[in-house]
Amino acid sequence: MNTIPITINDKKLDVDPAKTILEVCRENDIEILTMCHLKGIIDIGACRLCLVEIEGINKLLSACTTKVAANMVVKTSTERIKKYQRITAELFFAERNHVCSVCVANGKCELQQLGYKVEMDHIRYPHLFPHCEVDTSHPWYVMDHNRCIMCTRCVRVCNEVEGAHNWDVMNRGHQVRIISDFNTPWGESITCTSCGKCLHACPTGAIWPKAIVQGQLEKKPEIISELMEKRKMKL
Amino acid sequence: MSKKKLGTVWLGGCSGCHMSLLDIDERILEVAKLADIVKSPVVDGKEMPEVDIALVEGAITSDEHYRELLHIRKQAKTLIAFGDCAVMTNVTGMRNYFNLKDVLDTAYVNAISNDKEGKVPDHPSLLKLNEKVLPLQEVVKVDFVIPGCPPDADTIFYVLFEFLNDRLPDLGKAKKLKYG
Repeated sequence: MNTIPITINDKKLDVDPAKTILEVCRENDIEILTMCHLKGIIDIGACRLCLVEIEGINKLLSACTTKVAANMVVKTSTERIKKYQRITAELFFAERNHVCSVCVANGKCELQQLGYKVEMDHIRYPHLFPHCEVDTSHPWYVMDHNRCIMCTRCVRVCNEVEGAHNWDVMNRGHQVRIISDFNTPWGESITCTSCGKCLHACPTGAIWPKAIVQGQLEKKPEIISELMEKRKMKL
Repeated sequence: MSKKKLGTVWLGGCSGCHMSLLDIDERILEVAKLADIVKSPVVDGKEMPEVDIALVEGAITSDEHYRELLHIRKQAKTLIAFGDCAVMTNVTGMRNYFNLKDVLDTAYVNAISNDKEGKVPDHPSLLKLNEKVLPLQEVVKVDFVIPGCPPDADTIFYVLFEFLNDRLPDLGKAKKLKYG
């Protein structure tokens, strides 16, 4: 295999040129924060948490969507990056209605973990307190838009892994919402196969099964990554 | 070192944070060596006197809370937002997604348990709810925050002990951050 030399945090590495900066970092135990990334589905660079500094480029680039290049010099945890990560985490909390104490995902939530990692103790921005729908029309699952951070992992997993494309995205800016079919109740969907993959892909308590209560949610996003690895093996 | 003065107050919250404060158990004796608790829901006292540290539980939900918080800010050298409601409104702030009239009507007029004459109480001596519930930091300058619903007793003791010994606690570095 042809490899190219790159430097990440002063560490010299020889890597596969087909890989992204994020993949290389994960393989070499270099921590990069992510929310919208889920191994196995296509990266879109939505959450902006994996931003890295690359020598010679003024703006920060997302590690999940940037391929490595020969002699690239990357920095993953400068003060500038940490500052932006904290801002991003706070904006996630301020945008919708994240009430950890009553959430099914409390204690097992990737958004909570993110807050702890960036040492967020309070939110410096005013909360928007938007009115968000809670769709309980599906017989087994609930979609609570209050807790959605628009990572679109559910949309991609439904489309790329299950092939159903029940989920999609509507509107822009702070009015952006995940929709089922053409913005109809989830329970009336003609495309949803009720496979539950979106539930495991969701990093927060936005999609959850009705059979559980506060703090009881168990999610296994890694089953989606494993499933995609197994499919590659069959090919 | 002279003894410090500590005050705690319960605004728009459920008192769970104060329950967690009591959960520091016998370590309250160590706090008592360094500070006098001069105002708290668990001791007597009406107005917040001058204090070195004020722990403020709960969000700002009414005109009365608003006045009280401004008073506490004048009296306290260090004002600590105590618990998720004070820091980010938490459950208290869940009424912010609706308009206030609907919220009051739901409780006093349309509740199934009400008789037909249910009406929203409006006696002049009652506090008036604000349209939106606010975290402390949107009303006054807050010096330190302890998130958590409720914060762990260990975390509360850590913060108090550091402040009482004239050190600045760091919840992130101490791995004591918790929401919910």
